[in-house]
Amino acid sequence: MDRAEVEKRVKKVVSQVLNVPESNIKPEHKFTADLGAASVQSLELVAGFEEEFDIEVDEDEALSVQSVGDAVEFFVERLV
Amino acid sequence: MSLTDQFIERAKKSPKRIVLPEGDDERMVQAASRLAAQGIARPILIGDADAIAQLAAGAPLDGVTIVNPSSCPNMDRYVAAYAKTRGVAEGIAKRLVKRPLYFAGMMAAEGDADAMVAGVAKATAQVISAAALTVGFAEGISQASSFFLMVLPGTPERVLVFADSAVVVDPTARELAEIAVATAGNAQKLLGMEPRVAMLSFSTKGSAQHPRVDKVREATEIAKQMAPQFAIDGEFQVDSAIVERVAKKKCPDSAVGGTANVLIFPDLDSGNMGYKLTQYLGGAQAIGPVMQGFAKPVNDLSRGASVDDIIAVAAIASLQCG
Repeated sequence: MDRAEVEKRVKKVVSQVLNVPESNIKPEHKFTADLGAASVQSLELVAGFEEEFDIEVDEDEALSVQSVGDAVEFFVERLV
Repeated sequence: MSLTDQFIERAKKSPKRIVLPEGDDERMVQAASRLAAQGIARPILIGDADAIAQLAAGAPLDGVTIVNPSSCPNMDRYVAAYAKTRGVAEGIAKRLVKRPLYFAGMMAAEGDADAMVAGVAKATAQVISAAALTVGFAEGISQASSFFLMVLPGTPERVLVFADSAVVVDPTARELAEIAVATAGNAQKLLGMEPRVAMLSFSTKGSAQHPRVDKVREATEIAKQMAPQFAIDGEFQVDSAIVERVAKKKCPDSAVGGTANVLIFPDLDSGNMGYKLTQYLGGAQAIGPVMQGFAKPVNDLSRGASVDDIIAVAAIASLQCG
């Protein structure tokens, strides 16, 4: 899996969980400020990424991920 | 008898099923043992039975229900319910619900527990998130908030209820009204009092004009419409709310002025300062923050909570069940 593939799949999860069209999702977007996520949805996003990439991540580490780009970096480090 | 001891004695009259998701913490296991042994609650510990037995270190676990999410026959039902309520795929729901906080929340949501008490290992924000996504909010309420019971020195003890002094930073008028209504309901359940709710401001009944005063006035009207069964009035300065002599001059026509027993602060700045001033300058005992707003009681603990603290909070959660 390469970075482009990770980014594509991160956007897919964000789109599904936050109900935002994939074409509107940019790496610089923050989940709460730009994409309308309620703060309580953070772990729902984490679970979405876990399901998509079929891995388990440390909850406290994952909750530091605040933007689409952060999420891409987080999973590139672990998967690429 | 202290107020906390009174709560514990009252909880014994109708022991509730309190789910404790942090079954891997020794304090939770010891608290569960005592809750069951003393008949205060019917505790449910989430975790592995062998590990919990080790943490019990000989303390009896009779009357304690132990549920391990990985072998629980209700897991599929909880996953399906979460996926349906939240509109997420079952795969995502399963990833969440297998986590103890979410599993415990689904037990409460699905009627298999009456209340949840957590937070010795997890941060408050994580407890609130899990509760919001699983248990959800009470009818008419859109957010979690909190209140403190302030036990004032003197004989007899006088108890005031302060909100919100710990969670909601800058509530809108609507949110402030929700805090008032939720707090009034809990004051009634916990203290058996007829709540007289004062919406606080730096103005009494129009003595000052400012958008912040308007917010409190609007919140007062919304709260009255939401809960006509409660005596709610505003806006009041603190002295107009709690000193009868002042109320007679500043708001003589108010049924709440001068005798308020529930004080609703306009934001977290004033709410937090208000309770700390009362505690440290006024010598009051502060019990809380107690969480509120969820469809079923969910209470948060500080990470430094003792076994006694957990038992007291479990008793409060029991009484919040009504």
